[in-house]
Amino acid sequence: MRTLLLRACRPLNLTSTSRLQTQLLHAVSLRSLHTTHHLNIVKPFLLADIGEGITECQLIQWFVQPGARVEQFDKLCEVQSDKASVEITSPFDGVIKKLHYDPDDMAITGKPLVDIDIQSEITEEDEAKLAGGGGEEGAGSAAKESIGEHEIRVEGAAGVDVAEPAAENPGSQPTHPDRRRSSGKQDHSSLATPAVRHLTKEMKVAITDVRGTGKDGRVLKEDVHRHVAQSTQQQSTVHTPMQTSARADRKMPLTPIQTQMFKLMTRSLNIPHFLYTCATDVSSLTTLRKTLNISASSPDQRLTQLPFILKAVSLAFQHHPLLNSSLDSTDPAKPQLTYRSAHSFGVAIDTPSGLLVPVIRNVQDLSINEIAAQLRQLSEKARDNKLAPSDFSGASFTISNIGNIGGGVVSPVISEPQVAILGIGRSKIVPAFNQQGELVKVEELVFSWSADHRIVDGAECARCAERVKNLLEKPGKMMVEMR
Amino acid sequence: MITLNRACRRARGCQQLLIAHRRLSQSALDRLAQPVQSYISTSRDPYLNLSVEHYLLQKSAPESTILLLYVNRPSIVIGRNQNPWLEVNLALLNPSQQSQPETESPGLGNVDLVRRRSGGGTVFHDEGNVNWTVICPPKAFTRDKHAEMVVRALRSCGVERSRVNERHDIVLDQGERIADVDLDNTHITPYTRHAGLPEIRPLKVSGSAYKLTRQRALHHGTCLLSSPNLNIIPDYLHSPAKPHITARGVESVSSPVGNILLSNEHFIDAVRSKFSGKYRSPEGTEHIEVGEDWLDHEPVRQGYEELKSREWTFLQTPQFTISTSADPSCTTDVELTVRNGAISGGHLRHRGGAVIVELNAHSIGQRVHNITSWPETLSQMFTGVDCAEGRRLGAWFERMLPVQART
Repeated sequence: MRTLLLRACRPLNLTSTSRLQTQLLHAVSLRSLHTTHHLNIVKPFLLADIGEGITECQLIQWFVQPGARVEQFDKLCEVQSDKASVEITSPFDGVIKKLHYDPDDMAITGKPLVDIDIQSEITEEDEAKLAGGGGEEGAGSAAKESIGEHEIRVEGAAGVDVAEPAAENPGSQPTHPDRRRSSGKQDHSSLATPAVRHLTKEMKVAITDVRGTGKDGRVLKEDVHRHVAQSTQQQSTVHTPMQTSARADRKMPLTPIQTQMFKLMTRSLNIPHFLYTCATDVSSLTTLRKTLNISASSPDQRLTQLPFILKAVSLAFQHHPLLNSSLDSTDPAKPQLTYRSAHSFGVAIDTPSGLLVPVIRNVQDLSINEIAAQLRQLSEKARDNKLAPSDFSGASFTISNIGNIGGGVVSPVISEPQVAILGIGRSKIVPAFNQQGELVKVEELVFSWSADHRIVDGAECARCAERVKNLLEKPGKMMVEMR
Repeated sequence: MITLNRACRRARGCQQLLIAHRRLSQSALDRLAQPVQSYISTSRDPYLNLSVEHYLLQKSAPESTILLLYVNRPSIVIGRNQNPWLEVNLALLNPSQQSQPETESPGLGNVDLVRRRSGGGTVFHDEGNVNWTVICPPKAFTRDKHAEMVVRALRSCGVERSRVNERHDIVLDQGERIADVDLDNTHITPYTRHAGLPEIRPLKVSGSAYKLTRQRALHHGTCLLSSPNLNIIPDYLHSPAKPHITARGVESVSSPVGNILLSNEHFIDAVRSKFSGKYRSPEGTEHIEVGEDWLDHEPVRQGYEELKSREWTFLQTPQFTISTSADPSCTTDVELTVRNGAISGGHLRHRGGAVIVELNAHSIGQRVHNITSWPETLSQMFTGVDCAEGRRLGAWFERMLPVQART
């Protein structure tokens, strides 16, 4: 229900993406317009996500000009991104007020494409396409969110299950980010002017080795000079790596998923991670699962470990809400910590195209069966390429299970704004002593918790980890904690 | 059959005043509403085939799913937003008009240059390459779906090395058998090499491109079956102007290519079979032939004329700049900016000199593809260029932006 608010005194700033605009849009109910009173609402229509992790595309041609009257579904423009040329149509009736790009410009996903004077009813979905996104934050932070979320569609996947390659220690990254590009014949004319490329030839430098600091990653003359200076320095300190044979190196562009991962994990470099590992005896859990699975109606209705683990973590978070919080450190002087009420767990999935982390929401309200059903659904969607950007947004905590591939202790990397992450390896049978001091076989599974030491201290993380361990070692304890 | 058609068309041409529009037959128009449609073109004309494809995209019922198969005579097809001067060795395309004896044509005769309406990069078509198109509703669309269908068709013909890669292209894995894999998975083969093994690059046999409208999604791809021209394709797709052009727009990603070594008929049957299996039509799917008679239908003809026009081919190029400055053999720095295929600005400076000569205003708007003589054009563009220099620069520009023969 939208009520009509009177804000007649405040001037409407059409180009700012302020909270005011959002509220004004929410506030005005078109159904309450009098026929004699015409309200002009000029809204920026945002370029929608076209999937594949694509953040920008080239504007090829406009089909309208400012002043043109459009009806719903009229063509506005054609854009092109790598292999796809896409026609964008207007969701509303209205009059075009302003075009935000010239032909050949790169249009940014999530940013305004045209301004339309809307003269039709707007549905809730349509509001989301306009600046302000219909959310609580203004469009500025909506745009930031869209980079923080994993807005990637899955490429045709098969064999989808949860896994994450054990994350490398971020501290060991090389000084030159290894940007692999296509080889030799491949043209980089869009990355440097002919003058700069002439310079690279003179200085005998491969342009693909130089990191560009100009617009769009362009290589400037200073970059070439800097590269030359750096490599002469490095030559004296670095041994040439052993060549095992005369194979050629291959330079490849990053895939969309790799690009997204690169951006996200680079930001994670700011987080001081500490690792706490905890070996858990899951023998009782396995016995319980076997019993339950006997009565499973079909093989894919069988319960795996993961739903139990998710539930155990959620139960533990009732006592340790700090690990489910979000840290906003955009202003380093004023970090903002938000305790999130909902347990929205991102679950890392390995697909042929790479790592994806769709989210299961409100785990605190779900039963273990329901969690299992949702996991199955997400796997299927990933397989059928049906994951939408909304499936990736809003995680408060992430769980990464690489157990189907292997792993003992792992060191997972936290995605901001989360403050912790849990990595799980593969369980194995190990010898242990029981209470009577006899040697017995137990099934051991190592839980590796990484937490942000700016917010979480070792003791708190350890307490939470031990609580999860206890719940899983004696599943009966989970039962008495459930609401 | 074709000559008969042509004779009829000429006759019809005379009668055009009497017959207002020749239309597609009513049954052909009705067919556009059927939920599943399959077409095959009998024409080798790339402009016609792409026009038919575009017509089907625009006019078929929104909920329908369509397969179209076609083969083109030798032609180079660039993406919607690409730069022909950057992607193609234009000098090779019309060998009969070649004035320079040293540019020996590889022997293919005339090769058409076509700009298609979907995105993506530049590809070479010839009779050993079969093109496939699937048009479907956007709800059902994913970038891999129909590439996977084609891979299944290939595998049913015994091509067990074929798979879909991360770029939605179809590749053939090379090298020895590595592991047993799930054969239902179209993204991996028993030959797919994993990290830890020395890399052997797979051969690309099919590239994909897409066009997405509000109501329809089009995915088309090539399929290299038995092209005799593999070794000369690189010559056509390597432009001498590349190092000297700074441009926006999509660049081609080059990959090593190879032939699958399957006959066109075998492949076509397999694709049709997989398509019919996937999109079952209660009456069974009839495979309809499409030919030059479709040109009689006004919307198809309009699209055809547009695709053939030099305006579409050259003026749809995103802005770019070409400059002699990276070429040490030039003694003069000349830079030209080209917008919408026409000169929009430029300047000239003698190397070692300080004076910069701006482009003459009357040259702005000169369409590059209409230039007939570079030395003459350059002397009109910049005042103070002497004969010898004009000849040298003219020769350079002629190599980079070859004069287009008047068709």
